[in-house]
This record gives sequence, structure tokens and C-alpha cells, in this order.
Amino acid sequence: MRKTIETNGYYLPPGFFSAHLKFGTQVFERGGTRVHLRMPEVSGLLLADVAAHVRQAQGSYLYTLPVERIIDVLDRASRRWLDKQYPARQTAIEAMHVLTGFSREMIAASIDLEMESSRKDDMWRALCSEIKNPLYLDDFQRSADLNGWCRAYGPGLVVSFFSENIPALPHLVYMRSALVKAACIGKAASGEPVFAPLYLHTIEELDPGMAACMAALSWRGGSADVERAAFDSADAFIVFGGVEACDSLLGRIPRSKKVLVHGHKIGFGIIGRTALNRTTAKDLAAAIAEDHAMFDQQACLAPQAYYVERGGEVGGPELAELVARALAQIEQRMPRGAISAGEAAALHQFRTRAEVQEIAAGERVMCCSPGSTKWTVVCEQTPQALAPSPGNRTVRLWMVDDIFDLFAMLQPVQGFLQNAAVAVGDAREVDFIRELGTLGVCRITAPGMMPLPSMMWHHDGIAALSSLLRWCDIEKREAPEGLE
Amino acid sequence: MPALPDNIRELDENILAFIARGMDVRDDAAFNSLALQVFEQQFEHIPLYRSWCLRRGAGPGSISKWAQIPALFTDAFKAADFAAFPGPAARTFMTSGTTGTGERGRISYDEGGLRLMDATIRTAAAAMLFPDGARAVILVIAPSPAAAPAMVMSYGMNRLIEYFGLPGSGFFIDHEGFRFQDLVDALCKCEVDRVPVALCGGTSGMLNFFERCADQGLRFALPRGSRCLDAGGQKKTAAAVTREEFVGRCSLVLGIEPQMCVNLLGMTETASQFYDDTIRSAHAGGAARAVKIPPPWTRTLVVDPDSLEPLAPGETGLLRHIDIANRGHVCAIQTDDLGRSADGGFQIFGRARDDRTRGCSLSIDEITAPGRIYAEDH
Repeated sequence: MRKTIETNGYYLPPGFFSAHLKFGTQVFERGGTRVHLRMPEVSGLLLADVAAHVRQAQGSYLYTLPVERIIDVLDRASRRWLDKQYPARQTAIEAMHVLTGFSREMIAASIDLEMESSRKDDMWRALCSEIKNPLYLDDFQRSADLNGWCRAYGPGLVVSFFSENIPALPHLVYMRSALVKAACIGKAASGEPVFAPLYLHTIEELDPGMAACMAALSWRGGSADVERAAFDSADAFIVFGGVEACDSLLGRIPRSKKVLVHGHKIGFGIIGRTALNRTTAKDLAAAIAEDHAMFDQQACLAPQAYYVERGGEVGGPELAELVARALAQIEQRMPRGAISAGEAAALHQFRTRAEVQEIAAGERVMCCSPGSTKWTVVCEQTPQALAPSPGNRTVRLWMVDDIFDLFAMLQPVQGFLQNAAVAVGDAREVDFIRELGTLGVCRITAPGMMPLPSMMWHHDGIAALSSLLRWCDIEKREAPEGLE
Repeated sequence: MPALPDNIRELDENILAFIARGMDVRDDAAFNSLALQVFEQQFEHIPLYRSWCLRRGAGPGSISKWAQIPALFTDAFKAADFAAFPGPAARTFMTSGTTGTGERGRISYDEGGLRLMDATIRTAAAAMLFPDGARAVILVIAPSPAAAPAMVMSYGMNRLIEYFGLPGSGFFIDHEGFRFQDLVDALCKCEVDRVPVALCGGTSGMLNFFERCADQGLRFALPRGSRCLDAGGQKKTAAAVTREEFVGRCSLVLGIEPQMCVNLLGMTETASQFYDDTIRSAHAGGAARAVKIPPPWTRTLVVDPDSLEPLAPGETGLLRHIDIANRGHVCAIQTDDLGRSADGGFQIFGRARDDRTRGCSLSIDEITAPGRIYAEDH
């Protein structure tokens, strides 16, 4: 039987009215489920109205709200989303499955992962890590380092461009904006405008005044009048996207405005010879499989190759088989999503080359899901420079003689490096990590942990909260009259 | 050059005879028999391909239909050479290597295989490009064989000139680049002498030529019987035009009527070419059909992109060609072109692109051409 889900592809704050509001409905379908997505036609005039509304609400409410209260609302929102019975969560899973093709289990897992790391404690720690004392956001506080008093001010309005469909990612931007008491308008990704509106409804349930500072809309990239309205109205921008999309936005956003850029990135893993032994091989394989399976390897956090040092107790081909077995198990509980014809063709082309190589070399190179493209594992004796793989759960184990050989292979993508899983297993690890840091890697973790950054992580090497702030320091010997 | 074994030469003669029967004779039984013989030879003489087949449980004894012949994805030719007789290679062609890692596929033709390709070029063009038996001055917007010896399009166009070209035919791209003025002069001469022209070349190059002519206000009124053959497609750019626009420009700039324009799908990996049924239909008094016609010595299957199982007629999937003129390498070629079967032939919609706009992971395009990726729809 056909099921139809009615949901919104936008969020407008409570009490918002505009003469420029006109709605349409988009229809999406997958496997007998249909999604009717109501969306407003976004014009420059509408965006300007929305910006004025959320700014007004920010000034009169959010700006005056103690950071503790903001954290409390956001924490309760995360907990609601972690409740498997929460209707908005169920709607999000169904609708995002239809729109993006990710399996329901994958979307559920990613919501859990994002929300579990967005709890009260995480937010306090993220603020403490970046600005020492979160109360700087509420009023002037004594700073011993300054030998004076400091206060931090967030922007009035943040506009964020999401161009990606990684489930549950947009909430991070709304959360960060709220933590620095900024209003936030998100431009949803064309392929996934569902999650943000549902999340903002949760905020509205908990605190309509806070929700009045938030909006989610979609418009065609490059719509000149809409973007001009966005560029004029916001104080700061958070931009996600590929090289071209980011370049194009950066060229048009006025230079006086603050911009945080999260471009497309590439991740990898490395296993040292000491770390790969009889006792660890199975767990390592499971961890490698986990890193590749999450978000179907489409997130910037995902590895595109794992380099494996020769000389371990367990060889590369054996490790490949263990990884394939682990991926087969993951497929049972969290299936790979639907992929396009082009993605499938790319996987087949990739497998063809690996198989031809395997036949020519006369040794086992590849293990893959039979009769489908669900997962592919290859072990290659000649390592290559790091580059994107066909994704969708493609594991490339590239054998290297020495872990330090890796650096030459990272060179071509130096500017795109982000996440690295490192298991060296001996005293070389610290020097190795130092070099990775120098090269530009901004998160180092253990195999299996690649898709699980904490909220405290400096996202893409950026202090995501403090970069949005402006400070005012009082450098006087005496406390100003009336300050506690 | 060591000679090919006798049984191979005999097989080649039989294939040549089959091709010589022309574009209109469809003999399924004879095709099946020849395809299985070609497969048997390839199984025997190409060890890599033999292993490929054995892994899929296929061998000469175990299959009885051409559709069961294990196909190789085109990227296989980037990983290894699949020549059945690598010794007596007469020509080696390379794929353009414009996508992905930039590596290029290599396909070697032995002497007999090259004769088969020549025969397909002659027979297909006689039916699809010159069904009226006409001859023309063939002007080619593609590199000359001297400038691009490994480019299969240059080789094929050169054969067309040899078989169907009137004096004055030639190539207009050489080591120095595109000789625009020379082409304009050649077209003017044909216009004045009232000699029909066949303007041939890559689709993109042809569009560039039309644009330069438009910029300079140049228009030609080529004599009746002139025609246009464009091969390949366009790069996915903002300037991409529809087929209607293409033939419209062709008519505007050259005075060639839409039914005298034909598009051809040629691949380095297949010896044969696939023409649209436009000029032939028009000549027979019918309506032009924008469907690629697989010559009788080939078959085209449409398969599911994931399982690679054949799809029902009309469904969209990946195109797989079985071409017995590929005797010298592998006759079953799996492409990543999207298409569907239609009206006695197939339609092609271009490469199935791995256009992942959903993730935030770096794409190949961003590395190979920073700032030059296709426009992203935010």
C-alpha cells in the first residue's frame, strides 16, 4: 500500500507574516512511499522579511537569554530526538529515506550519533574549550588573564548555506548560532530540506521565543535577488560545499562580513605494523568497516583509503577479508542506501580494474558483495596518492613499507585533509601525528571513531563558536560601578 | 609481422562476409553462431579474459547465446591489454582519458581486426551516411591521423575519405590546431563549384565552428546532397545544446537540412559505430528517427546498473555492446553510458555520472580541476 507523508521543506518562525509568501508542493517518491513537501517560493523580498523578523526576535529575546537557559532548551531538544517514539524523528527518518536514498537504519543511526554528542555537558565543554568562561556571553566577567573584565558578543544574524545531505548536520549550525545568541537562517540543501524544519519545530515546542530567531528555507543557488538579501541582512555566514560553490559564495559575500567555510574534505586511515596482529586484527577490521559504512562514506569524515604498513603479523589480504566480513554484518543491521546509476557504474568500473589486477597478479586483491554493489574491499600492494574513492562503502587497503611513506601520498590533497584514523602501535606514533598536524590534518582519532567527532572538536580546524564572536574588554583597575 | 593462425583468418573471412550482407539483413542465428566462435577464440587467446570468464562460470562449452558472453567494463582496458594477438598489432588506439584518474585505455588491433573495423566503417556509412549512393567532399573537424595516430575517430574519418570522399576532402585540425580559415575556404569552394559536402567531426568541435561562423556573420548555402556527421557528445557544460538546437545551427550556418544531419556513437572499445536513423530514413521516404541503430553484426543490451542483469525493453540502464568485429580484443563491452532500447535501436543519454552532490566528501573533479567542476545546485 502506498504511504504519503506530508511535511514542510521550510521553517518560518512563529508569528511571522509576509505579503510575499506563496507556497507550492514538491512530490518525491521511493519504494511506495511518497513525500509531499510544502515549500514557499523564496524571493529577495521574502528573505528580507524573514531576516528582519528573526533579527528583531534575537534583539528582544535571545540576546537577553542566559546561556544556561539556551543550553537547557537545546539539550532537551536533543533528548527528544533521541526518543525513538518521537513523531518528528519518525517523520524525518521516513522522509529523508525517500529524499536521499539513505537507509532508514542509517538515518536513525546518524540522528542518534549527532544528538548524543549534542547534550548539555557537550555544549558547556565546547564553550569552555573555546572561550574559557561561557558566562562571557551573558555579561562582563572578571578575567584574571586580562586583569580586567570581558564580554563576548555573537553576531545578530548568521546565514548558513548547507549544500550537503548528511542527515542531521544542519542542527549543528542552529545550535552553534543559538549558543552565541545569534539568529540563524539556513539555506537547506536541495536534496534534503526536511530535517532542519522538523528540528526547529522541536525548539518551538520547547521555547517559541528561541524558535522565533530561526528559519530554514531553500532557494536555487545563484538566485541573485535572494542572495543579495541574504548577504545584506546577515552579519556572519557559515558555508558548506564544494570548491566551486564555496568560491562562488566567497566572491559575492561582502568582505566586511564574517565567513566560516567548511569545504569538501578527504579522510584516511593508517595502521602500523605493530598495531596489526593476531589479537587485534578482527577488531581493527570491524573498526575499519564501521568508518566506511557510516553515512555510506559520503561525509567528509569518511576515509577514502586506509594505508597499511607491511610487516604486521596479519597481512593485507587477510585484513581485507576480515573487513569484508564485517561489512557484510553491517549490511544486515544498517544497509547501504540506494545509489544512482552513475555511482553503481563507477563502482563496477573500479571493481573491474581491481579484478583485472588480481587476475594479472595471481593473488587475492578484492572481496566484494556478490551480485550487488553493496560493499567492495580491495588490498593493493602499490599504494597510490590519496584521492576520492567511488565511495558507497569502498574500502581500499593500500600497503606501504613504512608509515612515514604516507606523507608523499597525502601531498596532492594537502589542502583538503581533515580526518585521520591512526593506529601505529609503537613509539613512532607521536612523531607521526606531529607530522600529520603540520601537514594540515585537523582531527586524529582511532579506527572506528572516524564518524564520531565530539562537539568539542575544532570542526575543520576552526574554533566554530569563538570565531563568530566579537569581544569587549574592560581594562580598568577598578570594576565599573554596579558590576558584580 | 607474424601471420594470424589460419582458423582466425577463416573466422575473419566469415565475419567480413556477414558484414558485407549490409545493414538491412538481420540473421539472428548466423550472428549467434559467429558471436560464439569469436568468444571461443577470445577465451582461448586472451588469458586474462579467460580467467575473467571462468570466474563467472562461463566458457565456450557452457554458453549457447551471445547474451551470455561475459562483458568487460571499459575501464578494464586501462588496467591491461586485452589483445588476442598482441604480436602482430597493426594499430593501437587510446581512449581520451578525460575522466577520473586520467589514465587512458589501450585497444590494440591486429591486422585482421583492423580489416574488420574497416569493413564496418564502409558498410555502416554506405547505409547510414550515404544511402543515396552519393559521394561528397568530406571535410573533417577532427585531428588528422598524423596529428593523432592513437585516436580512433581520426582513423575512422580517414577511412570515410578513402571510401566516399571526392577530391578536396581532408582534415582541418593538425599539429598547429584548428585551421578555421582553410575550412571556410574549402566550404566556399564547394558552394561555388556546386559539389556536395559531408562535414564530419566531433560534436563539440562542430559547435565551436558554428559559433565562430556566427560571430563573423559567415553563412553557407551548401549544395543539395550535403550532409553533416557529428560524433560523440558534448562536455557537460553550460553551453550544452539540445539536438534540435544543433541541427538548427547546422541548417542556419551551412544550409544543411535537419534530415541530412546524423549523429554517430563511436567508442574506442568497439570496432563498429552506431548511427542515428536520420539520413537513411529520410532517403527511404520515412521520418527521421533519433535512435541509434545497432548494425546486424552487433547487439546492444540495456542492463541494470547495480546487478548488471538485462532490463525489460524501454527501461533505462547501462548500455552493453556485443560486437563481433571486436574479434581482436573482447567482443562484449560494458559501458557506463545510460540509455534505453527504443524503436528497433537504442537511445543514449550520455555517461552515467557519479554526480554525488549529497555528501561533503571531496570529489574527483575537485582535485583534477579545482574550480572547474559543473555548476552545483545548492
